[in-house]
Amino acid sequence: MIHRYPRSPIHLALILASFVMLVPFYWVLKTSVSGENIYAYPPSIIPRNVNLFYYVDVWYAIPFARYFMNSVAVSVIAVIGNVAFNAMAAYALTHGFRGKSFVVLLFLSCMMVPFQATIIPAYLITGRLGLLDSWLGLALPQCSTIICIFVFKASFDAVPRSLIDAARIDGLSEWRIIWHIMMPLSKSAIATNVILAFIWSWNNFLWPLIMTRSADMQTLPLGLARFLSYQEDTTGALYAFCIMVLAPGLLLFLLAQKEFIRGLTSGATKG
Amino acid sequence: MVFLKEPMTPPALRATSPLRGEAIRLRHRTRRALLYWCFLAPSLAIFLLYRIIPIVWNLVLSFQYWSPLGEAEPAGFDHYEDLLQDDVFWQALWNTLIVIGSAPIGIVIALALALLVNSDIRGRDVYRTIIFVSYPLMTVAVAIIWRWMFDERVGLINYAARTLDLIDKPIPFLNSFTWALPSVIVANIWQILGFYMIILLTGLQTIPHELHEAAAIDGAGPVHRFWRITLPLLRPSIFLAFVIGMLNSITSFDLVYVMTGGGPGRATEILVTYIYKLGFVQTKFDEAAAVTMVFFVLLIATAWAANRLAGGNVGAMDTE
Repeated sequence: MIHRYPRSPIHLALILASFVMLVPFYWVLKTSVSGENIYAYPPSIIPRNVNLFYYVDVWYAIPFARYFMNSVAVSVIAVIGNVAFNAMAAYALTHGFRGKSFVVLLFLSCMMVPFQATIIPAYLITGRLGLLDSWLGLALPQCSTIICIFVFKASFDAVPRSLIDAARIDGLSEWRIIWHIMMPLSKSAIATNVILAFIWSWNNFLWPLIMTRSADMQTLPLGLARFLSYQEDTTGALYAFCIMVLAPGLLLFLLAQKEFIRGLTSGATKG
Repeated sequence: MVFLKEPMTPPALRATSPLRGEAIRLRHRTRRALLYWCFLAPSLAIFLLYRIIPIVWNLVLSFQYWSPLGEAEPAGFDHYEDLLQDDVFWQALWNTLIVIGSAPIGIVIALALALLVNSDIRGRDVYRTIIFVSYPLMTVAVAIIWRWMFDERVGLINYAARTLDLIDKPIPFLNSFTWALPSVIVANIWQILGFYMIILLTGLQTIPHELHEAAAIDGAGPVHRFWRITLPLLRPSIFLAFVIGMLNSITSFDLVYVMTGGGPGRATEILVTYIYKLGFVQTKFDEAAAVTMVFFVLLIATAWAANRLAGGNVGAMDTE
């Protein structure tokens, strides 16, 4: 009924927006594969003399494999922590029990405390726990997130009550009900948890910056910032490094964008 | 109550009494409640350790003289009084307010994009993905991308402006007192734009189509319908986008740290970068704790003000 706007201006506006979103990526990608002096003026629009030398440089200039391994290890711990702890917490919240409203209130007020407002005591606490400069210490603050608990809770709430009762009559323990009944029925909530936990921990910068001391424990974002601080931006290798760091997150996002977007919006409106 | 034991009942009563059934049920329920608390324990421990205790500790620390090797001594309001005299603190507070104030610019652009993507055109999913794609990316890398875009010699922005004869000589965006903060804000909006758009798009899709059709039949034009139907019904989503944008901009440490390091001078210093420098570069944990408390109060106050402006409360969104 209302479909009477002309289409072409809409396309034009959206193509312009897409252009603005994509051009910065292109500019960095171009720089990272160009064989010429990156400061030549005027800058070329199309890469000349395409090669991957800068990518090879990155491999030799910095312990890329080590940073990568640290990032993967920390993200894996955070993902496992999120899926296990959030599912348990969410299952408990689908039931009524004494003190539940207090727990919900506590969770909601925790959401108003951004991590950046806690860095000093968080650092001191991690120090007392003896976890500074370790994978576990890097991952621990992110091992459970409130948004992701609510994502699981919404999914568990949709499981019919009678199914759980039947399982109980068959003698399944609550623990087994979570892992053998709830989880197989909540595949998309699991996917959301995995993706959000991975991306948050993969991209995290402030916490590793504060608590890692040895060069061996640095994660990719930290390595990238350090690389910038000693090389300044004199070399195209910085941009090659940038692309190498962006690629995994980008790939994961493109593969699972539906779950990602659903998780963010459901978490955002539920929380 | 959690540790309630089975009540003592005489043996004779055990087999028949309804009390017995009641007791078993109570015991079951108690045991189950205990189990649920165990399930909650890991998450609660993490939030206690990294949210609740830190905020309390931070408050205590801000009223003490303390350094990692020394004894704590009461400081009263000394750190807060020092802040009043501290020019860097005021500059950081002011810059933070500017960054928060820039959130509506992003929301307005995102609203326009959401309305366009929400029309039934071909390829809308592709547009949506492209506009959203910068959000999940590592902010440190985004900061490096934008450093390069703003580069004085070969940055695309200077190059385009010079080619189009908009400027005579290149602007050193990130080294200029005037341009550094706006440049960081541009990068920040670029990254979060897609997320705003997704939130607003979700809100738009909950508006019943019939409302628009009925209004159209009554002779309301598209502009009128936007102001009278779309915008009022979108209010909760706009509020949500604002709160998220505010949290994001208040905390955009990574961008500032990598793009400018707070410079030139203190031109892009925000509260979080100042807290980091005070605490972890100068090891003045106690002073940094005082700045953190100001930061925290600012955060709560802005969220509260946004909530009032939205004319509702956050909880009401659950039922939408």
